[in-house]
Amino acid sequence: MGLGGVGANVSARPPQNNNHAAAPRADGWRSIDAITGKAWFWFALVVILCAAPYAAYQAVQLSGGGNVTIRYWNGFTGPDGRTMLRLVRRFERENPGISVVMQRIDWATYYNKLFVAGIGDRAPDLFVLHADMTPRFQQAGFMKTMDHMFSPEWGMSLADFDDNVTRYQKVGGCYYGIPLDIHMFGLYYNKKLFREAGIVDKRGEARPPQTSGEFLDAARRLTKPPRWGFVFTWMRNVAYTMMLQWGGAFFENDGAKCVMNNPENVTAMSFCRDLIAKYKVAPSPENFDAWIGFRQGKVGMVLEGVWMLADLKKQTDLEYGGAPVPQFGPRQADFTSAHVLCMRKGLDGRKLDAVSRLVKFLSDNSLDWAEGGQVPARRSLRETPRFRAMEPQWQFSRQIPYVSFHPFTPMFGEYTSELDYMAERVLRGTATPEEALKTAQDKINEALERRRQMLERGGKL
Amino acid sequence: MPTSKTLYRWSGYLFMLPYLLAFAAFLVAPLLFGIGLSFYRWEMLSPVPPQWHGLGNYSEALTDTYFWKAVWATLRFVIMQVPLNIGLALLIALAVNEIPRGAQAFFRASFFFPTIVSISVAGILWRWFYSSEFGLFNAFLSPFGWKAPWITDPAWAMKSIVMMTLWWTVGGAFVILLAGLHQIPAHYYEAAAIDGANVFQRFINVTIPSLRPVLLFVVVMNIIGSFQVFGQTFMITRGGPEHSTRSLVQYIYDQAFGNYRMGYGAAMSWLLFVIIAVISFAQFRIMREER
Repeated sequence: MGLGGVGANVSARPPQNNNHAAAPRADGWRSIDAITGKAWFWFALVVILCAAPYAAYQAVQLSGGGNVTIRYWNGFTGPDGRTMLRLVRRFERENPGISVVMQRIDWATYYNKLFVAGIGDRAPDLFVLHADMTPRFQQAGFMKTMDHMFSPEWGMSLADFDDNVTRYQKVGGCYYGIPLDIHMFGLYYNKKLFREAGIVDKRGEARPPQTSGEFLDAARRLTKPPRWGFVFTWMRNVAYTMMLQWGGAFFENDGAKCVMNNPENVTAMSFCRDLIAKYKVAPSPENFDAWIGFRQGKVGMVLEGVWMLADLKKQTDLEYGGAPVPQFGPRQADFTSAHVLCMRKGLDGRKLDAVSRLVKFLSDNSLDWAEGGQVPARRSLRETPRFRAMEPQWQFSRQIPYVSFHPFTPMFGEYTSELDYMAERVLRGTATPEEALKTAQDKINEALERRRQMLERGGKL
Repeated sequence: MPTSKTLYRWSGYLFMLPYLLAFAAFLVAPLLFGIGLSFYRWEMLSPVPPQWHGLGNYSEALTDTYFWKAVWATLRFVIMQVPLNIGLALLIALAVNEIPRGAQAFFRASFFFPTIVSISVAGILWRWFYSSEFGLFNAFLSPFGWKAPWITDPAWAMKSIVMMTLWWTVGGAFVILLAGLHQIPAHYYEAAAIDGANVFQRFINVTIPSLRPVLLFVVVMNIIGSFQVFGQTFMITRGGPEHSTRSLVQYIYDQAFGNYRMGYGAAMSWLLFVIIAVISFAQFRIMREER
């Protein structure tokens, strides 16, 4: 059918004679005039028949009968997503009458979508947050407290969680998230390269470094370009771990003022830069892709999150080990985060009961979750022989007593992006640690001041 | 029930309705909403409601060093990408135009193929290619003792993004220019040849003037697209190193959806709109005057 034909038919005046109008057109199509009353009747009938089951479903839902459907969102798009899906399917089998619609969204866009859904009153019933995001999302007002999970009815014990892990979940005296796991940084090392470099224990096994001196010694012996002793992958969190180890402060007055430009942080960042410029055991930082170098067997050591285990488990030709982050500074410290399970505001009745049951199930079975490359948040599960047998996870979990989340600040986005920029400038050598830390501190304080003004104008100060 | 006459009269609009609804809902409404938004201080994670901020967001942008850094990064991309892209596309189109029409389809498809690859896939691939220590390109260069800091050095990073963009988008401009070349009557060239014009003179005096409308379209679309660069930088460098490839659109995204500063993001979007509008208008004027 040519375009000219269509144009001619549409632009012509309608024929006056209905009999003529109903006649088939030369191109084989029926004119719109040919749609008879009978056709309209059938069309309406089809629409009604299609809509009826949905209306019936809604009626059953409203009357309190039928299945309960839980909408569950998370950012587990990697192998961890398959582990979570298996858990959810098992939950459905064990809980007839409850179905779970799980949506996995890449973390890069997950928070945007979750946030927009939340403020539009369309938040999923259950969703996963990183622990340090809870205060920000709680402030936005679409989260439900989860204190009831610690009641005798649900039987979860607050004492089963480490205090430094649950602290972030407590806002205004109420808990808004149940930690599912703890995912901290740790040291991954290439056992084969270690043995070749003679960094072994008495049994001839690769011996991961525990102190700054041991780390530098190992890194020097492993570095033979193009092979590197160490690489920076996620600069922000390596830098943060180092600054924690030197005891540097970040904020004062409950996050109201940034004070990160201090001598401790300067020393920590200088040490990071020295690994590249002075000791020459690490290349200039790339981005996260330096991790590929470790997977290719071209890097001896890397500091990365426990979640990267899922990536390594797929690889059969790499002999790797996991160990706590060595002590570089005067004290032990390590960056961590955690996945926490959160509920939307307004849940009640059967839905609340079903979601609570799912939260309890996931928490009770978090050892299955840990298999994929996580550390369970519950102490009682970490003490089981099964977890002890998960070698890298168990090694990483030894750091729990001294792990730290990023500091609380209402301007978390600004804080993390400035931390990224600061670490990048120092590691590349384009700014001294003092300059870079000062810029970051000033920028974060600008953002805090903007917020203060906004709250003042809004009568919230 | 509507009469057939009424239906007939409105049928055109009915056919357009799905598109018009989408156009109104996803383009016109957000556009209008965005104008209003740009005058408010609205931080979505803040416990206070949006506050009237007048031109505050605009003045903040004009004094924001990161904003100007992003403008400069975008301009660098446009200045490098547009001439190279169109020049290369024209060169390929001229070469392909010389071969028999039947064989052109293969080249058309080959050069156009990268354009249909999604930016996520293309971005991840090129990020791996560019990796300094462990990437493909440096693996090829290393036997010669070379190692390029493709995306790790601020001086190199934007050039690398431009190179990837050329691979990804040159096919689009090439296909349009080739179609334009097909439209030039062969007797123009014959007449010029009879008058003694050499290949270069025929190109300058026949090809370019005849291609002008197509070129104008390609240049304007390319400039607009280049000012909106986002996918490549986001996927390959995330705006780094040291913000050297953070384009204006990415900075808007970072502010609006990273820090949830909707008003500020909207104001910067309108500033970007003004920049693109001014440049496009100037371009139309220049091309029209030349004609």
